[in-house]
Amino acid sequence: MAKLKLTKTIIDCETGEQIKREFTQDEYAQYEADQAAQLLRETEIAAKAAEKQALLDRLGITADEAKLLLG
Amino acid sequence: MPTTTNYGWTTPADTDLVKDGASAIRTLGTSIDTTTKNLNPSTTLGDIEYRSSTANTNTRLGIGSTGQVLTVSGGVPAWSTPSASAMTLITSGSLTGSAVDLTSISGYNDLQLVLRDFYPNSTSTSLRLRLNADSGANYSTSLYRTTATSIDNSSGTNQISFNDGATQQSNSNTNAHLVINFYDYANTTSKKVFPSYYVYNSSITVGAVNSYNVTGAITQINLACNSGNFGGGTYRLYGIK
Repeated sequence: MAKLKLTKTIIDCETGEQIKREFTQDEYAQYEADQAAQLLRETEIAAKAAEKQALLDRLGITADEAKLLLG
Repeated sequence: MPTTTNYGWTTPADTDLVKDGASAIRTLGTSIDTTTKNLNPSTTLGDIEYRSSTANTNTRLGIGSTGQVLTVSGGVPAWSTPSASAMTLITSGSLTGSAVDLTSISGYNDLQLVLRDFYPNSTSTSLRLRLNADSGANYSTSLYRTTATSIDNSSGTNQISFNDGATQQSNSNTNAHLVINFYDYANTTSKKVFPSYYVYNSSITVGAVNSYNVTGAITQINLACNSGNFGGGTYRLYGIK
């Protein structure tokens, strides 16, 4: 799969100068690390949601009913 | 010699001799000329006059500079340069590519960043923010998201994400807005706090308190999508003195 070409725009707020360039190797590496971290986070959130639903199912109550109990 | 009521110009008496008429008219004309000039001392385009402390004598006030306003100083009119407005638009533009860095942002007490109508190019991604191109674990955030009544918090993360990851921003919804206030961003002795207000996917609102846990000044703001490119949107950075 072809690598997505990513660009960055750098704006100098004093001079108004704008530079648009492709990501550096370090920036590509950071981007990939960020994506991996994001995927991990989304997986954790999904797992937590599934765990919560499984518990509700075992208890035989809905999420709203659980809120009422805890409210 | 009789004189006029208002300006005291000398006029011929009824008993004066006709032969003295030319001299009398000349005297009257000179008086009128002098008074008129005293009342109208303007010399240049844009001049205005105001009454001086001397009766029947106005003072000339030359035109001010562009942007000046008329005010009162010492009991008389004067041109004055108004003080700078509280908020100055530092820069504005479009969100393009995958990342936008705002650099050379010094010179203000606080900053306000406003993003309008932004959206990612690929579906389900999040806008993220870093400062000073710092990808270290120096950021903390706690946020409240309305639609799912969710509360999320994190500390020691390497960026600020403006939603909690549970519902990412759609690439087909183009009306997201974000406002961030960076208070005292240039100080070099304490950590930085910056609340943010974010609306996306039409109705999801997110309020967050964020911090950048370093004491150095914020010298640049780095915006990016977590995945792919910006689909569109604009940024406006204001400086507050």
